[in-house]
Amino acid sequence: MRQIALYGKGGIGKSTTSANLSAAFSEMNLDVMQIGCDPKHDSTRMLMHGRWIPTVLEQMYEHKELKTEDIIYHGFGNIRCVEAGGPEPGIGCAGRGIIATFQLLEKMDALFGDVVVYDVLGDVVCGGFAMPMRDGYAEEVYLVTSGELMSLYAANNICKAIARISERSSAKCRLGGVICNAKNMENERELVEEFAKRIGSRLVYYIPRSNSVRAAEVNCMTVIEHNPESEQAEVYRNCAKIILDNTDLRIPTPLALEELEELARNYL
Amino acid sequence: MAGCTLTGALSVACFIPGAVTVVHAPHGCAHQTFSMLHAMMNDAETKITPEIMVSGLSDKDVIFGGEGCLRQALDRAAEKKPDLIIVVTSCVPETIGDDCRAVCQEHAYAKQILYIPTSGFLGGSAKDGENSALIGLAGLAEPAEPIPGTVAIIGEKNLESEVEENYAEVTRLLHLLDLTVTVRFCRNADVATLKKLGTASCFILRDDRSSDAGRELGKKFNRRVIREFPRGLSGAITFLRETGTACGISREKIDAAVSSENAWQEKKLAGFSKLRGKSVFLGAEPLEGIFAVAREAIERIGMTESPDGVEVKPPFYLPVGVSGTMKMLYLWRRRILHG
Repeated sequence: MRQIALYGKGGIGKSTTSANLSAAFSEMNLDVMQIGCDPKHDSTRMLMHGRWIPTVLEQMYEHKELKTEDIIYHGFGNIRCVEAGGPEPGIGCAGRGIIATFQLLEKMDALFGDVVVYDVLGDVVCGGFAMPMRDGYAEEVYLVTSGELMSLYAANNICKAIARISERSSAKCRLGGVICNAKNMENERELVEEFAKRIGSRLVYYIPRSNSVRAAEVNCMTVIEHNPESEQAEVYRNCAKIILDNTDLRIPTPLALEELEELARNYL
Repeated sequence: MAGCTLTGALSVACFIPGAVTVVHAPHGCAHQTFSMLHAMMNDAETKITPEIMVSGLSDKDVIFGGEGCLRQALDRAAEKKPDLIIVVTSCVPETIGDDCRAVCQEHAYAKQILYIPTSGFLGGSAKDGENSALIGLAGLAEPAEPIPGTVAIIGEKNLESEVEENYAEVTRLLHLLDLTVTVRFCRNADVATLKKLGTASCFILRDDRSSDAGRELGKKFNRRVIREFPRGLSGAITFLRETGTACGISREKIDAAVSSENAWQEKKLAGFSKLRGKSVFLGAEPLEGIFAVAREAIERIGMTESPDGVEVKPPFYLPVGVSGTMKMLYLWRRRILHG
């Protein structure tokens, strides 16, 4: 079983990338599970044709006896979709919610398949959001970033979390690489490529900006389902293939803030 | 007394008749804290059944927020129609960011709800909890003109076994100055009494454990604060002089009270004349300051201290005034004369 986590700044396109990668994996006849680890609980919506599936946390506290069908829903390509869910903004502890979700999935023995994709909240703001990296869950982390400084800053912060977690002898979590979800900035690819190199990793794939993504989303589908013949669908397929073939997993070396800023300046 | 702020706050809040205390915490937190209080109350032969309710924060509340849980607990507490609902908090709501103050302010019973943000271990120790509770409860009292001849006692150790004996000793000394205790803040004083705190002309702290509260309350009501109950024999004399001065008692009256107290002490010490010339060994000091009180008593009786002397047990708490010293000496006398 391959366990892959996508981390990155909020709004950078993790859920879109995750859903399209999951769709691409399923096209390869793989048994795929996607787990949204964000209180926004919209990770799997495109796989579920726009349906907001009940979240694990909602179900956990509304029903005493939970069955797997209460929290796992089948979407496009028979992908098993799960949304951890979480509290309303500004109240409670979303990090604890992620931990509780993993504990329940573990108890249900629900974590299985050829590929499990974890789509995690932007910043690793507390131990809860580092949960997918711990305890043998996500063994490969992919940083999704654009060339924007704040996006690189968030990616760098996630590297810090990976580096810290990797210090433990039992840790299996490693950085698989960086995915550039482009914003069509000048020198963006080169910048992200250099960033990946500096943190001791590599640019796994460059996803160009495309209107087909927007078109698919307004139709509540992934690009692979909505426009399977498009160039963008092929981009996601290629990215999925590269990830599947990737065996180059490393412990990253996060940059100092000054170095990160200098890097961004160099590619203006 | 150890533990987190909850233990300290409850040791104050539990002694207000007519009040209900809501502990915004998981059941386990409240249970652990109250178990400790209950054990200490039993030890001190305290016969009260405090009204404590727990909001019972669960994992669900930690994730989704515990404000609703507190609201429900306040509803249950309000059904009892208490004079006051005191809300204290564990570390959990503080960690997850519950806006407990807002929940208390928005509640239909808000006028009779007092929120004390103790915050469990995040708020510090039991001592900090005691001080927070005292300061919070002082908010019930409005500033008022001091009534001459009255004092308030602040921060009595409600779980101490000698609490009433110590109080009796302090009131005996105050009586020599014609002073009356109008508020015991907070020991078995109802809300109406607590509201009169500002009318006392002087505040007397039990000891420096309540010094933070003493400072705040002294400043708020512009009152002199006596920092502790009298330590042993000479402490009683100092207490008379300090309290008398703080309350504006005339020099002549204070001197008369001191003379009377000296005579009383001599009379009481005469009962231990058989110990004159005996040698004792004190062993280890349980609390700083106890040996000073013990050594003064040894000297006044005409005893000596030596490593070869009869080993006597110093008291666990600082002996308050003459009665505390006598209690210590009774135990020593039995040990020295009868083994």
